[in-house]
Amino acid sequence: MNKNIKFIIIILFSLFVFFVFYKGLEKPKNYLPEKNLNKIETSLVFKNLNDQKEILLGDLITNNSFSIINIWASWCLPCRDEHAYLLKLRNINKIDIIGINYKDKKSNAIEFLSDLGNPYHEVLVDLDGTKSIELGAIGVPETYLINNKILVKKYIGPLDDAKFKEIINLIKNEKN
Amino acid sequence: MYGKKVKLRAFFILLIFLSAILTIFLVIKALEENVVYFKSPSEIKNLTELGDKKIRVGGMVKKSSIKTNDSVINFIITDFKNELLVSFEGSVPNLFEEGKGVVAEGFLKDRSYLKAVKILAKHDENYMPPEVNEALKDNKK
Amino acid sequence: MINQIGNFSLFIALFASIFLIFQSSNVIRNKSKNLDGKIFSALSVQSLMVLISFFSLIYAFIVSDFSNETVYNNSHTTKPLFYKISGSWGNHEGSLLLWLLVLNIFLFIFFISSKKLLNKYRILTVLFQELIIIGFLLFIIFTSNPFLHLFPIPKEGTGLNPILQDPALAIHPPILYLGYVGTSIIFSSALAALVYGMVNKIWAKHIKKWIVISWIFLTIGILLGSIWAYYELGWGGFWFWDPVENVSLMPWFCLTALFHTIIVLEKRNIYQSWTIILSIATFSLSMGGTFLVRSGILNSIHTFANDPSRGIFILCFLLVLVLLAISIFFIFQKKLLKNFTKTFLVSKETAIIVNNWFMMFFLSVVLIGTVYPIFLEVINGSKISIGPPFYQKLIVPFLIPFLLFMAVGPKIKWIKDNLSKINYNQFILFILSIAISYLLVKLYGISYLLILPLFGLGFFLFFLTIKDFFSKNSTLSQKISHFGFSLFILSILFNGTLAKEFSSNMKVGDERKFLNKIIKFENIKIIEKNNYKSLVANFKISDEKSSISLNPEVRIYNQPRTLTSEAAINSTIYSDNFLVFNVIKDDGYYNVRYQFKPLMMWIWFSIILISAGGILSYLKKNE
Repeated sequence: MNKNIKFIIIILFSLFVFFVFYKGLEKPKNYLPEKNLNKIETSLVFKNLNDQKEILLGDLITNNSFSIINIWASWCLPCRDEHAYLLKLRNINKIDIIGINYKDKKSNAIEFLSDLGNPYHEVLVDLDGTKSIELGAIGVPETYLINNKILVKKYIGPLDDAKFKEIINLIKNEKN
Repeated sequence: MYGKKVKLRAFFILLIFLSAILTIFLVIKALEENVVYFKSPSEIKNLTELGDKKIRVGGMVKKSSIKTNDSVINFIITDFKNELLVSFEGSVPNLFEEGKGVVAEGFLKDRSYLKAVKILAKHDENYMPPEVNEALKDNKK
Repeated sequence: MINQIGNFSLFIALFASIFLIFQSSNVIRNKSKNLDGKIFSALSVQSLMVLISFFSLIYAFIVSDFSNETVYNNSHTTKPLFYKISGSWGNHEGSLLLWLLVLNIFLFIFFISSKKLLNKYRILTVLFQELIIIGFLLFIIFTSNPFLHLFPIPKEGTGLNPILQDPALAIHPPILYLGYVGTSIIFSSALAALVYGMVNKIWAKHIKKWIVISWIFLTIGILLGSIWAYYELGWGGFWFWDPVENVSLMPWFCLTALFHTIIVLEKRNIYQSWTIILSIATFSLSMGGTFLVRSGILNSIHTFANDPSRGIFILCFLLVLVLLAISIFFIFQKKLLKNFTKTFLVSKETAIIVNNWFMMFFLSVVLIGTVYPIFLEVINGSKISIGPPFYQKLIVPFLIPFLLFMAVGPKIKWIKDNLSKINYNQFILFILSIAISYLLVKLYGISYLLILPLFGLGFFLFFLTIKDFFSKNSTLSQKISHFGFSLFILSILFNGTLAKEFSSNMKVGDERKFLNKIIKFENIKIIEKNNYKSLVANFKISDEKSSISLNPEVRIYNQPRTLTSEAAINSTIYSDNFLVFNVIKDDGYYNVRYQFKPLMMWIWFSIILISAGGILSYLKKNE
């Protein structure tokens, strides 16, 4: 009897510890941003990847329509995964995508685009990563959906099926 | 007389029991005194009382906010919503840079000023300390 | 190509594992007779396959095969060959493959070296061990496969974190793993011995070898980790009570307790349940440590890849093993002898229980300090961290009785002794130690309440262990380890109380006064190396008698862009001069930290002595 009680107590205790650790793991490490009506920092000046010409970010974002800013790098593995979604957005949905090449070598970046395809309307260079930070980025990849110069939604981490569908729906809803 | 099985056993069990209680008591006491809570600049803004305990604050080092002189480094920690001025005397880790995640440990002087005793940063350059990530996240909502 | 070979070998190893579990349970249920030959060949095949898989990965790293995702993520063509190789186990996937390899090799060695023992016991150990192996195989194949294919093939890898490019760190994980995995053999064999009611002197003698081996590797592994932290991290310390460090310390406490208890079991055939409990606990702590480190549940200064699904797998796996172990323990507990009668209060047996008591106390402190933040966050959502003061406050005062027991304990005889025969020599030594430490405290003006008894007992233990070298009471290995420990305590005490630190922001040409020293920032130059750019500063530290020049570095790596500080350390047998600097911003100021650390070398040396005692005990046959 005594032995059984001990046994049960120890088992229950291990299950409790298990449960706590399990819960601890469940804590989301990637966060899902809520709808955020922040203005996007349009006064930033970038260089173009190909000809190094200076461009004002605000000039690329057109009024009264949707555009997407995507921060990427050739060394970033998740960027490869999300690339297909960007191509779809560009080719099927005809959305302008502005790519910000984050802390990358020019040659690697160009090779990446020629290997996987270029979904970008314009590729801007952020060599030291500081401009991305001013946009509010905390890592690569990040994707911002912008409408009428206002940030509609921010995605941290690579795009996937769910995020892709959400973008499509957001655009559809707005148009209707 | 110690050779008696029952007596010695009882004595041992009693000792183990007492020492377990002592351990728990000491651990709890030490925990109370030495736990350092983690806060974001926004949480600090909303504190009702400052308290005199050591805390950790996490966020980003604001761009062009680092000011250095002979002994003190001053900078601003931001979570993109609220800011906190930090002053620190001592040595900083490699990854202490503007625009990077940082955790400062120290004492709050008021709701916008922290006197830091330790600055922590993490190894990896694309890595954001989980606490910082969460502190930032709470604010993006 | 090499990817497929590696991957395919893992699958063969998986089949071998299933085969082994099936066959060994047949033997145990008396369905088939002696299958030694079959099991031997299956084990060989399995070990060979895992070995092939491991070497495929190393090969992929050496030739920089970026079609392999692990290589792409963790290597770079400009990396020196040595770090390409060590890079193969410096990452999550590779390190698990290494775990698996060691598991297999250890089991193989166990199987061929235990032929004299009961056959069923051996087979059951194999069965338990295979359960662990299959868990790891599934984990590797399905959540952390090191042979994932990448297409299109990138031209260049993304580099191994330069801070991990350090010789001590390159060999630190494998050594630590040897220790961890050794505890798995102890675990499996303890359970098997329990089932067949053979927890006795013979088993103790046999398993002691494995305990000693694991203990040596764990000790050296922890030492290497500390050395790395000291030389590479540039914080001027060797132990930060960081969760990741604590995780390696916890099984060490448990294993040290087991190391002592197994001697009692071997000599006196008592403490059987306690030995089994310690065996189970040691392995659970090793596995639990892997879980805590690999799942990213901990907020640590050392970062590892984190993916919650991996964490959940290890956690469930650990739960299964622990529940299995607990159930077996309760079912077969009655087979253990209970001859407590022969124990007397004043005896070596009791002294070892006291040692265990202290180990368990230190273990609880470290365990609670490490997991409490996780529990608190789950329960009420507050984020906290627990710093070094917590550990110091709880551990340091208890070192006083611990040192006293350690000085007296080993002298007590087996079975029964009495305390009235304390001899005058010991008493004189005790007085002498207290006197020396009193003088030291006065001389250096240390003002800390506990420092006098700590130093006093440290010296007392030190003298006694030296005196022991001339007596015949104990084994040489014990003398060396205990002497090493006394040296360790003294070095740490000196190091902790006499260390001096100075930090400041300096421009080139600046001079600062610190104690009786002058620190001058002479100059700084830039050197281009093939995979990094280096800023080398020159500092001069001078006092009345001498001056030394120190050249700390800041390295700026490209792939990925990372800054690391290389501390300049001037080591002598008396003390270390440690200087590190950092770039804050391009405004001419550099953040400089200078530390004076007495007896640093002796800390390393004493830990080597402690492990040397273990090695000697392993090599000696009939002890």
